[in-house]
Amino acid sequence: MSFRPRRALAVFWKDVLDLRKNLGLLASMAVLPTVMVLVPIGVVWSYVRTPNHADLRSVALFYDPSLPLGASAARFLIDKTLTDWFGMFLVMPVFVPILIASQSVAGEKERRTLEPLLATPITAAELVAGKSLAALVPAVLITWVAFVFFCVGVDLVAWPLVQMPLMPDALWTFGVLVLAPLFAFFGNGVAVLISARAGDARMAQQLSALVVLPLVGMVGGQVAGFLKAGLLYYALQGAVVLVLDAVLLWASIRLLDRERLVSRWG
Amino acid sequence: MSGIEVQGLGKRFGDRVAVEGLDFHVRPGEVFGLLGPNGAGKTTTVRMLTGLLRPTEGEATVWGHHVDRDGESLRKVVGLLTEQPGLYDRLTARENLRFFMKLHEMDEAAAWPRALHYLERFGLGGREAEPVGGFSKGMRQKLAIVRTLVHDPRVIFLDEPTSGLDPESARTVRDAVAELASEGRTIVLCSHNLAEVERLCERVAVVKRRLLLMGPVRELRRAGQALDVRVEGEAERFRDALASLPFATNVLAEGMRLRVMLEDDAHAPDVVACLVGAGARVHSAVPSQRPLEEVYLDLLREGRS
Repeated sequence: MSFRPRRALAVFWKDVLDLRKNLGLLASMAVLPTVMVLVPIGVVWSYVRTPNHADLRSVALFYDPSLPLGASAARFLIDKTLTDWFGMFLVMPVFVPILIASQSVAGEKERRTLEPLLATPITAAELVAGKSLAALVPAVLITWVAFVFFCVGVDLVAWPLVQMPLMPDALWTFGVLVLAPLFAFFGNGVAVLISARAGDARMAQQLSALVVLPLVGMVGGQVAGFLKAGLLYYALQGAVVLVLDAVLLWASIRLLDRERLVSRWG
Repeated sequence: MSGIEVQGLGKRFGDRVAVEGLDFHVRPGEVFGLLGPNGAGKTTTVRMLTGLLRPTEGEATVWGHHVDRDGESLRKVVGLLTEQPGLYDRLTARENLRFFMKLHEMDEAAAWPRALHYLERFGLGGREAEPVGGFSKGMRQKLAIVRTLVHDPRVIFLDEPTSGLDPESARTVRDAVAELASEGRTIVLCSHNLAEVERLCERVAVVKRRLLLMGPVRELRRAGQALDVRVEGEAERFRDALASLPFATNVLAEGMRLRVMLEDDAHAPDVVACLVGAGARVHSAVPSQRPLEEVYLDLLREGRS
């Protein structure tokens, strides 16, 4: 069976066109990046506003009892916030494709457009590729744009204390450029898989969104002091997600089999 | 090149048999009617012939492409109008059509005039920049037909093509179907509108899980000749006398009219003689063919029994 990129790109073209006209979905896609950018900037700003507050040192010592006496607790907490927040930031590239892919795949069933679509020469792999691209490209772009705003915002509010740019650092640059696309692929794979089986787009979204819970749980572990985040920690997460991506891709192509889709949903 | 060749085609979904033992062929340039009640297997048959479902028994070729082995090349030469138009509401008519041109890897600049021709023909000219979500049911149906034709298919499957259309638009669609057939395309028409089937199709197949009957429409109608008789007074009085005739398969009486179904129209004089013998004053006796609908319904009744 041949793979014709032109046909996959046709699906990508149509889905992106449809997304651009779906104002409701665009609005819900904008909420998460806004929160992801504004919350850490606010936290950093609160540390910068009262850097010598006695309570900050107590919090810093909870995370690192060996913190030197002369070290700035505010600076320590800013660095920790930025490191830990990256785990939360990864929720965005997972969640945005879930919003898009659920609408795109389950939406084809709801609108009864699946049968005419499958009656064209397109193959299951081309359909998965086109739909995945249409979810991944906006998700990664949104993540990158949010990252730019995040860097600018953090540097602006932290400047009075640190007198140097903190962002982008090595962890975030590696994470946003390498891990974010991997995580986006993961979110998309889950959404495609669930959408192919779920009755409608809303159910597909709700079920797929459950995959962000482990990520949020891990961030909770970091904040509680059980997990210590760093470059290696996130690289390990990326390796696990890479394996999951491969499994999801294989499963998606199998599940989006023409006969299976038509006999269930056509 | 044969349009469609079907031999022993069947499909099972687990233990449930959807269709079995179908045998028929359709010539290029022919409009072929596929009839049957809901759930009879028409859609399953069309899905197998368009490469959407794999047959579990038998085999079929469509325009020389094997339905089981050549799915991709098969779908390049077939056009399928599904029962639901299945359009993208947020996209404009032009964008909907362009998407399918892209899926068929067509040169859009070259293919667009053809699409425009059909849009004009179906009364959608000038509406191509409007979102489909604002279209009426009939407009959506017509756009779906244009989408079916946009890649210049050689074999076209139409499921209820005039559903939701006003009489004028339905006429336009029927004319287009006849024109497409005259260009040498093979057309399979699934419809419950038997008057339409009668008008458009040369041959029909009646399916109810298996093939119940197949043949030219003219012959099917001739299979049950009728004699319409007008008598003086209440026609009901002569019904029993006619029903006792061995060659009368059915007798209907209404007012002053009798309709006598005959095995052969050679028995028409015997009917008149029987009526006269029973004391009837016969005003007229006109042989007529049964409408396809009657033949079809009788067939389904026989199938049930």
